[in-house]
Amino acid sequence: MIKFYLLSVMLISNSIFSILEIEILKGSDNLSKIAFVPFGVEDGVEEDYGMQISQYIEKNMLLFGEFENLDKSEMLSFPSSENEFFYRDWKVLGVDYSVIGRVNSVNVLGNLNISYSLFNITRRIKILEGEIVGSEDNIENISKIISNRIYEQITGLRGIFDTKLAYVINSDTDTYQICISDIDGKNEQILFTSKAPIMSPDWSPDRKKIAYVSFENGLAEIFIQDLKSGKRESVQALGMTNSAPVWSPDGKSLALVVSFSGNPDVFLYSISNKRLIRLTNHYGIDTEPSWSPDSKKIIFTSDRSGSPQLYEINTKSKRKKRLTRDGNYNARGRYFPDGKSIFFVHGNDGNFQIARKKLSSRYIETLTSTSLDESPTISPNGNIIIYATKDGLNGYLGGITLDGKARFSLPVKNGSVREPAWSPLIN
Amino acid sequence: MNRALTSLNTLLLILLFLSLIFSIFSIPKLDIDEKQSIRVNFYELIQEDDQLFNSSIPDLGMKKETKSFSSNSKEQKAVETAIFSKFKINKTDIKNEISKIKLSMERDDILRVSAIIQERISSVWIKPNSLSESLVAKVLINLAPSGEILDFDLIEPSSNNFFNESILTAMNKMTFFEEVLSLDRKLFEQNFRNFNLVFKSSGEIE
Repeated sequence: MIKFYLLSVMLISNSIFSILEIEILKGSDNLSKIAFVPFGVEDGVEEDYGMQISQYIEKNMLLFGEFENLDKSEMLSFPSSENEFFYRDWKVLGVDYSVIGRVNSVNVLGNLNISYSLFNITRRIKILEGEIVGSEDNIENISKIISNRIYEQITGLRGIFDTKLAYVINSDTDTYQICISDIDGKNEQILFTSKAPIMSPDWSPDRKKIAYVSFENGLAEIFIQDLKSGKRESVQALGMTNSAPVWSPDGKSLALVVSFSGNPDVFLYSISNKRLIRLTNHYGIDTEPSWSPDSKKIIFTSDRSGSPQLYEINTKSKRKKRLTRDGNYNARGRYFPDGKSIFFVHGNDGNFQIARKKLSSRYIETLTSTSLDESPTISPNGNIIIYATKDGLNGYLGGITLDGKARFSLPVKNGSVREPAWSPLIN
Repeated sequence: MNRALTSLNTLLLILLFLSLIFSIFSIPKLDIDEKQSIRVNFYELIQEDDQLFNSSIPDLGMKKETKSFSSNSKEQKAVETAIFSKFKINKTDIKNEISKIKLSMERDDILRVSAIIQERISSVWIKPNSLSESLVAKVLINLAPSGEILDFDLIEPSSNNFFNESILTAMNKMTFFEEVLSLDRKLFEQNFRNFNLVFKSSGEIE
């Protein structure tokens, strides 16, 4: 990641009232070190539970490479309550935060009461404590909730450990599957399998449905599938082909691409009354729409200037604005959750990388270092981008944190993984 | 012969004097920023009129063997005055220039120590990823002459509590800025006894 580090020191003037001011713009490249202490257990509770919960939390917190952990073999003590906790035991080990907890039995039905605390070792203060009640067979999900709270307390960002990914797998046998899984790749569910290509999955804001494109009937057709019932419904928009569906933030409409006589343009489609509203009307290809978080604008890719570039259109006034000018390939644009920046695929000299651009700035910042990146999707807390990329012939999902400190790849699936779509948060 | 020697002596004295002036003006050349006035003045002196510099010496009669040894000091003074007048400088100017050099050297010291402090804080500050917000917070530091941090205070917190917490955590990791030990005591008292650290969330990408 390209960084501009402006060494700037504002020196005193001669006035006796002035004071030296030193500006600090750059932060450390080091990661916060966290000690995940095995949780203590009450008599009568299976001893493994304490260790399991601590391990689940540790695994979640380390998933995207944002933190480092303290190896348990280095720990000097194993406190499970505040009165057993001594800051010096952790400070000498260079730990920034410690997580401790205790598992108590609630009743004979197997319900557990799990209490947990988070300590800032440098500041010598407890910054979080909480309790959660759940059943023995739900320990993994309970650990996700605790992980979310810890993550939020340390970073100030919403935890994403209970979010999901949708993606398309193209196996060796030319079978296409649309799948969803937990963010760590576990609990994979196949939603639909076809011999014809499937593409462009997108989550409804309530996380109950997924829209995607399937070629099962010969032409590109949009389907909406209910995740609970598995029921699929074709979106009967007009035109020859329909593609690239994206849910509006209120879940009431889709932005999509409709092609009349081979010329793709961007439209809005109301799910309730099936009304189609044209947004663009150009002889060039207009495709890959995506909503701004406030629903007022849509970003899309168009080759109207001669090469694929990103444009923004106001959904009411239909006023358009070109957003990218650098390079001859900028496509698949998406807004950050704050609406102030966009990320997209930036092509340069045959390399296709994920880039971001602040809308207020003209500079593009390349985020990835691989060369065949596509279909970026952002975590709902705006901190991590996952994208499809290739290692030889195999497609896999890579990821990067926005501060550039961590790069990772998600567990390899059987077959090429493409077009990841990150689910929204559960409110 | 004697007269020739006297003239040669005079010439040597003048050259010595000139080299002294030049050496004074040459001190900041290595360290001082081009924009600073001292260097500019120096160049003005030699660049404004190159010909003047080359032709002034014969004009002052330094090459001629007509001066008597007895009138040496008077002539030398006259020559000095002529040089000062020709080069548009006087003794006050020299004093001012020297004090400017001293100030520049002090400024360099302040910059050097500030840059080290900046780097040390940056190395322990784990900055929250706050892309959407432009945040600023100011910390006042009270330092002992030994470099020990006696006290610090978040005098102007930002609107984001996590940003403020990250700063306090970083500040708690610092105990000494021993770099100030290399400073002149007066310079320390004027600049580093109390100073501010201004933390900014954005600045890496614009």
